Amino acid sequence: MKRRLFVASSISAALAACSPIGTTLQDHFGFGGVLKSAESLDHLVIGTRGMAKEYRDADVDAQFRVNGLDTPGDATYASYVSQGFRPYRLVVDGDVDRKLALSLPQLQKMMQQTQITRHDCVEGWSAIGKWQGVRLADALALARPKTGARYVVFHCMDMDPDGNPYYESLDLHQAAHPQALLALRLNGKPLDPDHGAPVRLRVPTQLGYKSAKWVRRIEVVSTFAAIGQGQGGYWEDQGYEWYAGI
Amino acid sequence: MRPAVHRYSLATRLAHWVWVLAFFALVSSGLQIFNASPQLDASDKSDPARRVLSVDSPQDGKGTTTIFGRTIGTTGWLGWTDDGMGGKGARAFPGWITIPAYQDLASGRRWHLFFGWVASICWVAWLISAALKGTLQKMLLRPRDLRDCLAMQSYYLKLRKTPPPYDTYNPLQKAAYTAIGLVIAPLVVLTGLALSPGIDAMAQPLTALFGGRQFARLWHFAGMLLLIGFFCIHIFQVATQGFFNQMRSMITGWYRPGEHEGGTA
Repeated sequence: MKRRLFVASSISAALAACSPIGTTLQDHFGFGGVLKSAESLDHLVIGTRGMAKEYRDADVDAQFRVNGLDTPGDATYASYVSQGFRPYRLVVDGDVDRKLALSLPQLQKMMQQTQITRHDCVEGWSAIGKWQGVRLADALALARPKTGARYVVFHCMDMDPDGNPYYESLDLHQAAHPQALLALRLNGKPLDPDHGAPVRLRVPTQLGYKSAKWVRRIEVVSTFAAIGQGQGGYWEDQGYEWYAGI
Repeated sequence: MRPAVHRYSLATRLAHWVWVLAFFALVSSGLQIFNASPQLDASDKSDPARRVLSVDSPQDGKGTTTIFGRTIGTTGWLGWTDDGMGGKGARAFPGWITIPAYQDLASGRRWHLFFGWVASICWVAWLISAALKGTLQKMLLRPRDLRDCLAMQSYYLKLRKTPPPYDTYNPLQKAAYTAIGLVIAPLVVLTGLALSPGIDAMAQPLTALFGGRQFARLWHFAGMLLLIGFFCIHIFQVATQGFFNQMRSMITGWYRPGEHEGGTA
């Protein structure tokens, strides 16, 4: 009986000590910096290799789950929606030879790719959608990034309640992946406002927060240190990994 | 009293305590990650029709756990628990068992992926060192040990007066170490990797092997339960087979055979 009590109490004590010790190490002893070292190892070892699995039509979720920041509620976006996105232009600029401002019909006339891929949320859930649109690589090829350019930053129309706009970024290697897509359609229909209309990014080789919705501008840069909090994306600024392949 | 014997090498002792640390960090940060989406489905994409486990808070002040469609009230333990900030809230696992204590998926992931590397690198290093020194060969379960497992179990259950003859490790220990070290721990790592969209793109058959991403998440969780089970039995054995002698041997390496008769933990 004594032994059992001893075992039970030592296990509970060890368990109960774990959470406060870990929390204190992170909050007051800068342990977060140590933990971040794993990200470069993940990026190096996993990186962006191979192709995400492509599914059949029967695998598609008819109601694709909506998550993330709220659909933009500002007057500009409302007027875009009411006019069928006619005034909308997807701007491609920054370190490029040729700046672009692509209208929705122009994007629709470019070569379209269809992919039925799984969206893996960082929270843990997954959903499958049929995405159609323009390869990111094709849009970038039109703009011709300059030598010395390293990243592609996606500026979006949604913002959090504090007014911080959503943005994301990929390096040029990730942006050149054949499945990195500027999606215009979901499940056979034009994107609706809740799913990122008129243009959203799809990066099936990384977690869902990389697949930015409501993209308005693609900026090619050599560094993203001066954008937002400098971590390369809205969620990255909140502590999530820039390399979201795991 | 017989003279003390040097039972554990420095490499084994070091690896042991690194794994203890990593085990606690991985379980608590893993539960933090689970809390962000407290459902486990036996499917590739999320699918409520194939839900095996879900922890919910149907209303404020109430927590429930649903396993294979059967719902039980778990208020205070699962679903509606301490939020790690002094209050109560809709959280699957309570704050006292997660890292960080409060809801913080980003940090939970950092802890988990960091200690995943620590545990894996330590595992590979120890395996190489143990194989070179011959320790590993002594710990591996061989087909001929299977018969002795039964005899050893009978001995533990006091159905037999003497244990079957064995060298350093008894057949049940060999079975436990082989199962944990070479089957369960690698499976937990592989099922964790199978959750990663980057790994899935690089090695599609791996995720497919476990039945898809959500199914891999379910196996990963089940593997954690097995590791916790091993941990509890292990602690029980250490506590009942000469606790101080056992602890000393895993810290200093020295064990006094006369001090306590019986198996090692």
